[in-house]
Amino acid sequence: MEAVVDATDLEKAYGETVALSGASLAVERGEVFALIGPNGAGKTTLVRALTGTTTPDAGTVRILGESPTAVDRATLGVLPQDFSPPDRLTARELVAYYAGLYDDPRDPDDVLADVGVVDAEDTWYENLSGGQQRRVCVGSTLVNDPDVLFLDEPTTGIDPAGRRTVWRLIEELAAAGTTVLLTTHDMAEAERLADRVGLLADGSIVAEGTPESLVTEYGGANRLTIETEAEPDAFAGLEYPTERVARSHAPRASSGQSGIVVRDVPPAEIGVVVDFLEAHDLEYTGLSWAEPDLEDVYLSLADETELERTNRLGEPAVAESTPAEDAVQPGETT
Amino acid sequence: MSRFGRVRSEADAGWRSFVRRRTAVFFTFFFPVILIVIFGALVRTDPTGEGLFAESPAYYVPGYLATVVLFTPLSRMGSEVARHREGNRFEKLATTPLSRAEWLVSQTIVNAVIIALAGLLILVMVVALTGARIVYSPWLVPYVLVGVICFCGIGAMLGSYTDSRDGAIAASNAIAFPLLFLSETFVTLEQLPGWFEPLVNLSPLTYFARGVRAATYPEAGTPAVAGVDPVLANIGILAAVAVVTFALGARSIPRTD
Repeated sequence: MEAVVDATDLEKAYGETVALSGASLAVERGEVFALIGPNGAGKTTLVRALTGTTTPDAGTVRILGESPTAVDRATLGVLPQDFSPPDRLTARELVAYYAGLYDDPRDPDDVLADVGVVDAEDTWYENLSGGQQRRVCVGSTLVNDPDVLFLDEPTTGIDPAGRRTVWRLIEELAAAGTTVLLTTHDMAEAERLADRVGLLADGSIVAEGTPESLVTEYGGANRLTIETEAEPDAFAGLEYPTERVARSHAPRASSGQSGIVVRDVPPAEIGVVVDFLEAHDLEYTGLSWAEPDLEDVYLSLADETELERTNRLGEPAVAESTPAEDAVQPGETT
Repeated sequence: MSRFGRVRSEADAGWRSFVRRRTAVFFTFFFPVILIVIFGALVRTDPTGEGLFAESPAYYVPGYLATVVLFTPLSRMGSEVARHREGNRFEKLATTPLSRAEWLVSQTIVNAVIIALAGLLILVMVVALTGARIVYSPWLVPYVLVGVICFCGIGAMLGSYTDSRDGAIAASNAIAFPLLFLSETFVTLEQLPGWFEPLVNLSPLTYFARGVRAATYPEAGTPAVAGVDPVLANIGILAAVAVVTFALGARSIPRTD
């Protein structure tokens, strides 16, 4: 099947700053492709290169078999990042304005209903909440019923209920054959929506696949998080690899406390760990067990970039491992 | 629908957006009014025939009209382009069927309507406050329209080549003020150094002023251009300049980063 979005070896630099260095991807018709990656990884530049709003220094882009600047623009829907539409217009006027730029637009009322801002359709854009504003912006990309939809962080600032509205909308569009490429920092969003996910780091896609395959390959082991102030050495007798997770790096600790993460514990063996805690009089305030997910993939692949950026590579900032560290899979948080 | 529909949609949004900015509307009309009050009613034309305002009040009608035909497009287009760029609106529009030229046409239409209304107000005030006796020539309409097109193109370039709204507005003021006084509007050629006279011909506003003056105040004796009637000749020159500035302005509007 011919890819609807096809990019090969894209390179782009702004002065000495390299934004893209050999990024390639292909998205097929009706597929939802999520681009994830740290800030500055090149996601927005890649979307711009795909939509023809920036010219790559090298590489090729084909959208529906055409170059981005030659493709029929009525087939595209694009939501740029940090997009701010004309002010002093109501939500309805804004959607109608963008609809007016196309020959055969959808009814603006239908679009407003789709994105859930019917109640606020007569409110000026600047008086809408941040989430409502973003919904209107998403609506502006749907007025022409596009074949290919590019959404750069579409749900940023939208509340959970509104986010699910947008998710359902994207799922319906994809089911109807619309090809969607979105960028996001919300791993739950990528995991729910995407048929395939590409992780962009330092300007190139370092991992790509279905969310399940990425989790299998890069997600690492399941983890049992023990909320405790005990020192890692106290867990040396456990047969499972453990590591201390600092407060600021403990996204999996349910209360945000610092704790100990025990890996590779099958659910049936949790009792063994509890017995160990009690046998050694180790106080703890909570236990939580989780299978690896896309966030683990992201952290395993992108955390090094973040540490390099903050000059903390090599520091034991994320975890202090016990001697069982060797058992931790390569690429895990270290 | 196509092109007409796109231009109408863009112009409609631009118009609504403008008229709902009350301070922008107020000062768009207040600026020329206050100039007329200061120059026409307070400073007044020197009855002895000396000083800055030595000519008949009708002589200065092109100058008063220029306060909107020149200033409004430069500052509005400059800031509008900068505002669009800052909000990534051009990035969005570049992926719609609306072309850069269509966007500029739409904005020019909005400016033309605003300036036509302000121009009417100016004419009424000039006549009422200064007693100017002018011919209400139909040529005023094409002169204002072509002037707006010309300066909208320049304003688009200013907005495109400056890096912020502040920069665009400062640049438009820096260009507009010298042009306003050095284009045979308020200052006659005789009041300028001889070496400066050729430079006056470089200003598009000069042809607006000469043409409007020839149309509204024939007694001024505006010279013909290469034997062609000054009203026709000056609108021709202004139109030629407008085509160039509009094309350059449309081309300058950013499509990519």
